[in-house]
Amino acid sequence: MTKARTSLRSVLTAAVFILIIGGFFILNRAVATPETLVSERRKPAAFPELTVKTLLNAEFMGGFDDYAADSFAFRDALRTVRAFSVFDIFMQTDKSGLYRDADVGAGKFGAVPEDAIRRTAAKIGAVAATLDGLNVYVSVVPDKSGWAARDYPGFDPDAARAILGEELPGLTYIDVSEALDGGSFYKTDLHWDQEKIVDVATLLGRAMGSQPETQYTANTVGEFSGVYPGQLALPMAQDTARYLTSDATSGAAVKYLDDKTLKWVDGEMYDLEAFSGRDPYDLFLRGAQAMITIENPSATGGRELYLFRDSFGSSLAPLLVSAYSKITLIDLRYVDARALPMLVEFKPGSDALFMYSSQILGAPEILLAG
Amino acid sequence: MLFSSVEFLYYFLPVVVALYYILPQPKASPKWRNLVLLVASVVFYGWGEPKYLLLMAAQVFSGWFFGLLIEKFRGRAGSRAALIGALAVGLGSLMFFKYTDFFVANVNGLFGAAFKLPAIALPIGISFYTFQILSYDIDLYWGKTELQRNVLTFATYVTLFPQLIAGPIVRYADVARELAGREHSLERFAGGARRFVLGLGKKVLIANVLGELVDICKTNGEKSVLAVWLYIIAYAFHLYFDFSGYSDMAIGLGHIFGFEFMENFNYPYIAKSVTEFWRRWHISLSSWFRDYVYIPLGGNRVSAGRHVFNILAVWFLTGFWHGAGWPFIIWGVYFAALLLIEKFALGRVLEKLPAFVSHIYLALFVLIGWVIFDAHELPVAFERIGMMFGAGVDGGAGGASLYYLRSYAVPLILAAIGSTRLPVLAVTALEKKAPRLMTALEPVCVGALLILITAYLVDGSFNPFIYFRF
Repeated sequence: MTKARTSLRSVLTAAVFILIIGGFFILNRAVATPETLVSERRKPAAFPELTVKTLLNAEFMGGFDDYAADSFAFRDALRTVRAFSVFDIFMQTDKSGLYRDADVGAGKFGAVPEDAIRRTAAKIGAVAATLDGLNVYVSVVPDKSGWAARDYPGFDPDAARAILGEELPGLTYIDVSEALDGGSFYKTDLHWDQEKIVDVATLLGRAMGSQPETQYTANTVGEFSGVYPGQLALPMAQDTARYLTSDATSGAAVKYLDDKTLKWVDGEMYDLEAFSGRDPYDLFLRGAQAMITIENPSATGGRELYLFRDSFGSSLAPLLVSAYSKITLIDLRYVDARALPMLVEFKPGSDALFMYSSQILGAPEILLAG
Repeated sequence: MLFSSVEFLYYFLPVVVALYYILPQPKASPKWRNLVLLVASVVFYGWGEPKYLLLMAAQVFSGWFFGLLIEKFRGRAGSRAALIGALAVGLGSLMFFKYTDFFVANVNGLFGAAFKLPAIALPIGISFYTFQILSYDIDLYWGKTELQRNVLTFATYVTLFPQLIAGPIVRYADVARELAGREHSLERFAGGARRFVLGLGKKVLIANVLGELVDICKTNGEKSVLAVWLYIIAYAFHLYFDFSGYSDMAIGLGHIFGFEFMENFNYPYIAKSVTEFWRRWHISLSSWFRDYVYIPLGGNRVSAGRHVFNILAVWFLTGFWHGAGWPFIIWGVYFAALLLIEKFALGRVLEKLPAFVSHIYLALFVLIGWVIFDAHELPVAFERIGMMFGAGVDGGAGGASLYYLRSYAVPLILAAIGSTRLPVLAVTALEKKAPRLMTALEPVCVGALLILITAYLVDGSFNPFIYFRF
């Protein structure tokens, strides 16, 4: 009797094992690889080139590893199984730094080494030294982790402020933390929600001696799903995307620098087509752009702002338009600081603001400066 | 190729299992199935190290050829010369590929020379397969095993992919009969599948997860007592689950293909003395050094002084086998010292102590040993050991270490429980009480575990095998 039961168990165990490894072997051939891994916002690795050379130098094997994982049947469902396991079986509070928090939604924390901040400061300092006659300011975009229910280790804006103060004594630091809270950010994304950062624009404007307007019309675009649901592989309630308009923003003229032709091209401040693309945050000034100018014909005084920024600046800049006759957005990840004299005529007496999030402060090597 | 990879689990393994079992299997002559395993093993090894296939082939041929000479000249001086030749080629290759940089660096350090380090890459698994080949030639010389005349069968033994790159170190004498003819059964296959999946789970769900914690602790910059203890406890479990998981997978795959490999671990962390610990940890390596170094040196049937020397020699070599660096050598000698202290002084005291005291003693000294083992240079080890006891720290605990203790509490608790016999005892008890339930439960658990492991592999995670570098 025992032997019979043992045999049945063996039959079932062997069958399950063979069914799973054999089943996925067949499924991985039968199920077509999608053109895009939508939840991860990237293309899957292609089948590697098979030649004698790629076999001998093991390039084929390395490429096949990536291809096999990316083209695996039910990839998204399996990623969700892992996320469920991490958070609900192993009770871990993050998955490689990605967390889901009761207060701020999903996010990612990561330590920003002091050395990296100092090197970023050196690059900022090198660019700032070229801005003769300008009032130069520096600020940091805090991570939303700072307002999370749990104390996640990672970026400390106060420590960053102290370091930047040491490294950049000639620049005026503007602390925007008091104008923010956990609700200022999308729950599904790392970025702040434009509708919730009017106070940030006001605070920055006051610190730089200007007075941006505070009354805007909120325009709803649709549901907004940021980067984190895909990275976490967990279903999440979506945010709502809204953008703010006023007479100043509606009357402003926006030009984008075409980084291939180096010519300025007219465009929209809020790109509804880009909202439907890979990253809905590209709604704001089309996402990653080397340089953008926003001219406000209704402004008086002719004062300009040069905003050295990362992606957070895209949704912030429209809220500063009313206070300046022209804002020039410069992303040093895509334009080399040495090329700026050829592209921008810095107007003495104007303002320059370096405003970066922890992602840039922790990766000074990506700034094309210094 | 890694066992814990999508390409192994869902491309390589199904094809090899299918080919292996499709081929006819006359019990007396498994040559076609051996050939399948040989070809599969070459693909398996070449997947990660194609350029070192020739080196492995040369070593296989040399080990086999010297075996022929040992047999041909048996009873004459030629046999001994052939054994010396086998040792020279095997150990020479190992010395060249694994230790050249170490020797050059030490010559530079000692004599102020400036010889350029040749930076020779270590072929994966060379320490393991070299020892397997040597065991064959030595056993053959001693008359403990028979000559293998078929080079392909010998190559199948050396390259057998389940244990090729991280052990257990299988001796030819132990599998010679199975290479000539082995039995397969559904029971054996199912047992192998179960063991393989369990080992894979140990590796992917515990070792990899705790490996992440080890990396975090080493890089987050917090200098607190809690941070260093968190690091070393996580490292101890990471190492155990990584290596014993690999051994489980190797043994399980062996069963699937009809082989019986020796057990490599026997719950080492439940030991109550260092002596007992080393009877339970990496058993195939300890027994290899015992049989091929310690006993030929005279073992313990010599004077006390010579006995001490024998132990020191074996542990110096054990440390050196693990890596070409002073921390590994110091680690080996450290355990030699502990073993000598237990043998000549502390052993009887330990036996009389309450079990929990002995466990704490063992845990403390093993953890200190792992700190040395994991350090790239000795000053780092000394700094970490000092921090364990409060020297050079900024405080008892910092925000980061408290956060990570909370985040990794469940994996750490699971690892602690999994290092004991408790899971096996629980399953055995359940088996007795509800055998019908187990009939359903085992396949469900194996399937669920395999799906969960697959989810971790597909999502990509931290996944190196520590023992590949040895």
